[in-house]
Amino acid sequence: MDRLTFCTFLIFLFLPAWASAGDTSSPPLTAINVHSLGPEQVGNLPPVIVPVDNPQTSAKILLGKKLYFDTRLSADNTVSCATCHDPALGWSDAGPTSKGIKSQLGGRRAPPVVNAAYAPLQFWDGRAPTLEEQAKGPIANPIEMGNTHQVMINTLEGIQGYEDEFKAVFGTSPITLDQVAQAIAAYERTVVTTDSPFDRYVRGDQVAMTGLEKKGLEIFNGKGHCTACHWGGYFSDGRFHNLGVAPAPGATPDEGRYAITKNPPDMGAFKTPTVRDAAKRPPYLHNGTEKTLMTVIELYDRGGGTEAANLDPLMVPLGLSEKEMIALEAFMKRAMVSLNPSVADEKPIPASEFPK
Amino acid sequence: MKKIISVFIVLAGVLLMLPDTSSAIPAFARKYGFNCNMCHTAFTKLNDFGQRVRQHGYQIPGQEGFEKNVFATPIPLAMRTSMGLVVGGNDSTTTSSFNINGLDILAAGVLHKNISFLLIYTPRIDEPAGDYTGSNNGANPSQLGALESASLVFSNLVPDLLNVRVGRFEPAYHAISSKRIYYLISPFEIYAYGTGNNSFVFDDNQMGIEVTGNSRVGFHYAAGVVNGNGPNPDNNKGKDLYLTMHQIIGRGEGQSAGQRIGVFGYYGWQPTILDSLMGPMGENEGGGNKTFYRIGGDISLNWRTFNLRALFMQGIDDKALNPLDTADDYEFNGGLVELDWAGLYNNRLIASAMVNWVNPPCGDNDKQVLAYSALIRYNLGDWTAVNVALHAEYLHREIGKDNPFKDDIVALMLDFAF
Ligand code: HEC
Ligand code: HEC
Repeated sequence: MDRLTFCTFLIFLFLPAWASAGDTSSPPLTAINVHSLGPEQVGNLPPVIVPVDNPQTSAKILLGKKLYFDTRLSADNTVSCATCHDPALGWSDAGPTSKGIKSQLGGRRAPPVVNAAYAPLQFWDGRAPTLEEQAKGPIANPIEMGNTHQVMINTLEGIQGYEDEFKAVFGTSPITLDQVAQAIAAYERTVVTTDSPFDRYVRGDQVAMTGLEKKGLEIFNGKGHCTACHWGGYFSDGRFHNLGVAPAPGATPDEGRYAITKNPPDMGAFKTPTVRDAAKRPPYLHNGTEKTLMTVIELYDRGGGTEAANLDPLMVPLGLSEKEMIALEAFMKRAMVSLNPSVADEKPIPASEFPK
Repeated sequence: MKKIISVFIVLAGVLLMLPDTSSAIPAFARKYGFNCNMCHTAFTKLNDFGQRVRQHGYQIPGQEGFEKNVFATPIPLAMRTSMGLVVGGNDSTTTSSFNINGLDILAAGVLHKNISFLLIYTPRIDEPAGDYTGSNNGANPSQLGALESASLVFSNLVPDLLNVRVGRFEPAYHAISSKRIYYLISPFEIYAYGTGNNSFVFDDNQMGIEVTGNSRVGFHYAAGVVNGNGPNPDNNKGKDLYLTMHQIIGRGEGQSAGQRIGVFGYYGWQPTILDSLMGPMGENEGGGNKTFYRIGGDISLNWRTFNLRALFMQGIDDKALNPLDTADDYEFNGGLVELDWAGLYNNRLIASAMVNWVNPPCGDNDKQVLAYSALIRYNLGDWTAVNVALHAEYLHREIGKDNPFKDDIVALMLDFAF
């Protein structure tokens, strides 16, 4: 056996060793935290998956809605979930980053609550696994609703109307934090898009989208590479990418997903937001640094932002023409906007209808 | 000529009336629901994204293990063929014929995280000589049956830095791929150039092992050990070796964005005496092995949707392999320059021009080549995993130095893959 043959032989011996070094069977979905193996074709959203321990009931959904719009969950009765996730502002806020109790500014933009039910992980960095877990966060966050969970429960216990409703919905008392979170999550699972010009088009209505919007979709799924990350019915992979977004002037760099995983490729990576309804919630990105859809498209056309150190390998300059950018914008501006009344026309609960 | 153009226009008209519903290994496009131009500047040339997917063993880079494997996707089969009218002429004759320009049957997919495969089979095609009345009584098929590619890729042995490809594959010294080009009738002449006593052809896919890798700062390397004998078993005991190095400047891969520059070198052995001793697979021991090498450089520049790429190569075969003069090495050189442009929404329209040349040594002057080509292609429809392109190509070629043989070929084809 000459040396070359021997080396080749060694490589072949080494390959199976390498293949079995990691886990050879695919890891369970929960372990890798992706909602499905993709990319998958863009299309209609499937029905929302409801966790077995928090079934949807209409009374629970209504209770959740009241809690969502009620400022009494905050320390000084000024802030509700809807303050930062306002249906009229695309279920986000005016930004660029969120303003909480006593006008304190947070470092990140409020992501939309609409269709959040489809996200495999919640928050820009994915630190909450479920909507239920997520809902507990802002209440006790000092710069959001500034409360403590116990004080909030005490407040709700002191309101007869809420006491009765929780009893009716959950059959137990006193009120618990989990119940509050479950009711809010149940409501959020109804704020989903089944109807947009794009959804109608996918179902076969050829005129639901304009010619320009169809060109936009073609580019979204082709030369624009958008569906490499914004895929499936949710228009998001629910995974984390570094787009090279620079911190806002004066702000400290945000570690993003890395803060949770300590995994170097996650440095500066943020969860892919859905582009459904994006037109309704400028400014964009985790720090609200892009003012319009067009400037977001221009960022992609340049192959990402200026912070290139850990740029996602999927980011490459696109060579889009001005016409192609206009088509992409047109697609997101109208065709991707939800027409469901529960999303597009949701009104805050009038003060008189809150439990007393 | 006028008649040809009107046939083309009518064809184009008919096809344009087809409904515009909702991409070139279509098996991948089907798996992801992508349009072809996710990975191609336009079918068939890879863009930067597609190039990265290829480098990562046909996985979406950064997402390895989080995508469907071949068992969870539609049958990962794809086909490509092109057909149409080819009209050729020189000073004395003109020919015209409807031709089928090859058929590729492809299968590819991810078997398991970081293990993927690619198979390309080209069946034998006798048309238009199926009844043995064609050229040389049908003894010259228009395509030979062959396993063009049959390779397994083991990716990310060291993340990004070490990937291994085993089998028959397109070697990395084809930084400018001759397989994934827009041209259908104009070959890269320098790739195809064969020298008298050497069975190595630069254009061939080779059998062996290749390692590749890239760094975050845009440096790419590849090295391989191959037979150097195309689809055939090796004809000598020595294995051929190659090495390539490329640097990308700016973002991208140099395919559709960023600027890429690199060098390649190939060092091989050829027997001067073929003895009759055959190994179990038809390998030949060969005798009197002599060396040859190919070295060159290539560059790919991008500006908006223009891509200018060029390659220059020098070949040297040992004097013992020189059919003309055994006192001297056989030295030749050549290259190509290609300018591509993509336009209309989603790069539906492609225009390209190319120059090819080969300079053989003096005694082989009649093998000198100078060729000019141009083409226009239009991709029909926004389809997932289907592509039909209308293709018009012109080739003017001069072969030989003094008093060259000149011919002109026009091809009006449909290039089609699904
Ligand atoms: C002060 C503004 C503010 C308030 C009040 C607020 N949020 Fe948020 N919300 C944010 C910000 C900012 C984020 C992103 C934080 C992060 O990723 O680190 C967020 C994230 C979320 C997300 C995750 C969405 C996704 O796609 O990851 C959900 C769901 C959500 N909030 C629901 C709620 C609910 C329910 C309430 C009320 C209990 C609430 N928010 C109150 C600002 C606010
Ligand atoms: C590499 C994956 C990836 C690709 C490719 C990609 N996106 Fe994104 N997109 C993201 C991530 C991640 C964010 C959030 C980044 C951040 O905030 O730092 C985002 C944010 C956005 C936003 C802002 C949404 C919001 O609520 O702030 C829009 C709009 C958008 N992308 C559209 C597009 C379009 C159009 C394309 C194609 C031209 C595209 N994306 C391609 C991953 C991607």
